[in-house]
Amino acid sequence: MRIIIAGAGEVGFHLAKLLAREAKDIIIIDNDQDRLDLASQSLDVATVKGNSSSFQTLLEANVKNADLLISVTSFEENNLITCILAKKFGAKKTIARVQNVEFIFDKEIMDLSELGIDEIISPESLAAKEIKRLLKEVAITDTFDFDHGKLSLLGLLIDKNSELVGKTLIEAIHLNPDQNFITVAILRGKHTLIPKGETKFRAGDHAYFIAQPDGVEKVISLSGKEHAQIKNIMIIGGSKVGFHAARRLSKDYNVKLVEQNKDKCFVLADQLPDVMVINGDARDVELMEEEGIMDMDAYIAVTGNSETNIISCLMAKNRKVKKTIALVENIDYIHLSQSIGVDTMINKKLIAANFIFRYVRLGTVISLTSIHGSDAEILEFNVPVGSKITKNEIRDLDFPHDAIIGGVIRNNEGYTAMGNFQVRPKDRVVVLCKPESVHEVEEFFK
Amino acid sequence: MRFNIKAIISVISVLLIMNGILMLLCIPFSIHYNEDWLPILLAGMITLASGGIMKIGVIKAEDKDLKKRDGYLVVTLGWVVMSLFGTLPYIFTSSIPNFTNAVFETFSGFTTTGATILEDIEALPKGILFWRSMTQWIGGMGIIVLAVAILPILGIGGMQLFTAESSGIKYDKLKPRIQDTALRLWVIYVGLTGLQLVLMMLGDMPFYDAINHAFTTMSSGGFSTKNASIAFYDSAYIQYIIIVFMFLAGTNFPLLYFVLKGRLNKIIENEELKVYALLVLTLSIFITFIIFSETWSGFEVSFRIALFQVVSIVTTTGYVTADYTSWTPFLTTLFFILLFFGAMAGSTSGGFKLVRHILLVKNSFLEIKRQLHPSAVLPVRLNNRAISQDIIFNILAFMMIYILIFAVGSIVMSTTGLDFTSAMGATATSLANVGPAIGSVGPLNNFAHVSDFGKWVLAFLMLVGRLEIFTVMILFSYWFWAKN
Repeated sequence: MRIIIAGAGEVGFHLAKLLAREAKDIIIIDNDQDRLDLASQSLDVATVKGNSSSFQTLLEANVKNADLLISVTSFEENNLITCILAKKFGAKKTIARVQNVEFIFDKEIMDLSELGIDEIISPESLAAKEIKRLLKEVAITDTFDFDHGKLSLLGLLIDKNSELVGKTLIEAIHLNPDQNFITVAILRGKHTLIPKGETKFRAGDHAYFIAQPDGVEKVISLSGKEHAQIKNIMIIGGSKVGFHAARRLSKDYNVKLVEQNKDKCFVLADQLPDVMVINGDARDVELMEEEGIMDMDAYIAVTGNSETNIISCLMAKNRKVKKTIALVENIDYIHLSQSIGVDTMINKKLIAANFIFRYVRLGTVISLTSIHGSDAEILEFNVPVGSKITKNEIRDLDFPHDAIIGGVIRNNEGYTAMGNFQVRPKDRVVVLCKPESVHEVEEFFK
Repeated sequence: MRFNIKAIISVISVLLIMNGILMLLCIPFSIHYNEDWLPILLAGMITLASGGIMKIGVIKAEDKDLKKRDGYLVVTLGWVVMSLFGTLPYIFTSSIPNFTNAVFETFSGFTTTGATILEDIEALPKGILFWRSMTQWIGGMGIIVLAVAILPILGIGGMQLFTAESSGIKYDKLKPRIQDTALRLWVIYVGLTGLQLVLMMLGDMPFYDAINHAFTTMSSGGFSTKNASIAFYDSAYIQYIIIVFMFLAGTNFPLLYFVLKGRLNKIIENEELKVYALLVLTLSIFITFIIFSETWSGFEVSFRIALFQVVSIVTTTGYVTADYTSWTPFLTTLFFILLFFGAMAGSTSGGFKLVRHILLVKNSFLEIKRQLHPSAVLPVRLNNRAISQDIIFNILAFMMIYILIFAVGSIVMSTTGLDFTSAMGATATSLANVGPAIGSVGPLNNFAHVSDFGKWVLAFLMLVGRLEIFTVMILFSYWFWAKN
């Protein structure tokens, strides 16, 4: 598969990194030689220097034989033009990154695919979507639903009061005789462990579970957290992410949006009828208290400044806000999140890159997500008749060590997959695996 | 700042030429009814000639662009000049020989008020009565352009909100957009007038009566060719037709345009229209019961009477089919209060306009929430859009000046020999361009008994009200005339 990525910024770079590991044939186009050098040194990619919307550059990148062109430069117009040109030159599929959400939401007015742009992505809008996903449960730091909640992936911080601390996975099964959840990954520091029976939980671990609907509450209580619903949300920063998040969240929650710029406040108030827009500085503690920060269930800081976001989240945490989410620009910060006390940190570029990656990977895989602060991926497979996975019980399959089968959806029912489980054709299987073994795992589903 | 006098004269001259031509259109009626048409011809020719001479005088002017400041002047001046020339037919035919009376009648006409000093309308020549209706029809045309194209650009009383294309864009030059908007809406205005004419003739109304009443309905004017006003036509069909067209005349014209274009969602999301329709309906039903219990005429008759008076007053038309002051003091008070409502902005109706009421009421309640959340940005919302606080302030100022003028006007009118009720009624009805009021200037009375001074005051109030207060008041401000 031949993929051209226009723009070697953070989205482009991260995307290249994800795709390169999949052994794709990747060409990066950028104006900036330094960025190209960085990319070609650390990744297995070819580079072309030039403007992605120029004929010459595109032809040089052999656009005629490209299976996919992804334009993720920071200029919307450039991305659109690059995609249109690439399609005309013969690229099979194109994806453009945009800022203007009209392109996404007003598809009935003009369908950009007629122009040759197959998919439109906006990192800001995706980040807002991600925020909404994260807010489903206070205790949960990360979540993903399979088949409308038949199975859920749950990320949880193991509290020091948790019954699980010090126990191995096998011992943990005794705490949960129903076996309605299964541990699929543990994030410890920068490392992602695929747990085995004898792996012990430690306080401060960030554990990922696959749970049946009836297991969700059990997981939360075992991890030492309280089950609580979110009602009141405060969003800091009327940036694009803030706007989109407020728009999505105001349908289900009480949302207050704090923005410093008065004129911007008016525009936001105009477009968000159900959101209370507050004009002020989030660092003004008195104002925050006046607006009831103590009564907030969630605090989402999405200003343009990562440090402000982190610090104000800590301030909110200090005032007993149950859940804090900070938007950060620097990808390296994400690993810090749990240790400094912010519940979840998100990076819109990472989210965008992951989204595109999922789009590219769609094939035998139905849905795919990655977990925050880890490179492990969650894949969902349709099981074809006669595939290797159906041959034996799970414990007797020679399944890769860096991968784990989390659960199975069979006849619209979700099951956690214990060792004695046998997968049948037409099942849908949820697998967590490290990127190195993705191909090995895919072999089982062919 | 200097005015572009040549450009102003150029506009006025066009208005006069139009005025003259329309005057001449009355002649066929005079001939048909065997009346003396020479005075009208003379009046028409003088008006035409005046316009023509002015036009020739400025024909070589190169800079035809009107600036904002010229705009205020030209609007007020236009109305005054047209009204003054409009007195000529009355004076030349001696149908209204007194100059003050003639001025009152033409101001009442061009401002689409409908108050009259005539004690026996039917005694006037048909040609002249047609001119009388014509003044209102022309006035209505002027109002549409004014309301949807000129005032929004001048930024008066929040008018920039009320046009369909409102975007808060400030134009420095007035011309291109006005012509475009005006033409589209005039087509609707003329079309609806024609439709009403036909529908009323289908109800066996004579052509002459039908065209006169069509002219004064669509302009929400209210001049009738009959002494008894619409009560003369004892036909439920005709009265309902008039009710419908009065209602339409009180509807925002750009909105009507969208309906014609098939964009019905514009109607559904329009809050002012909902308030307008609901107000008219609930008040009418409510009043129906009172009339029914007071008069014991049939229920349908009671409803029709109630609906007719309510629509007539709310749309500031001023036709009557019954004396609303004759039932109970409660209804007299209610109808007096209704003089301060007005229909939708961007229509031919006068008065305060419902949308301003809506915004101010909403703003007042929001003020409570604002007390609790001093840092929150809580704009007033209209049709699901946030309204800038500047516009709310503008409307608040509008209201204050409106009330002030009403207060001062009432006091001044009470010095002219009117009693308390009549002074307040006459002032309110003139300021809102309705026509009938309460007291000695009620639905069955006229303004003949008001003193000359009083008539001039009322004529001035009509003009001030018609031009949305600010347009005229600005001319009286020091800053308008200041050189820098």
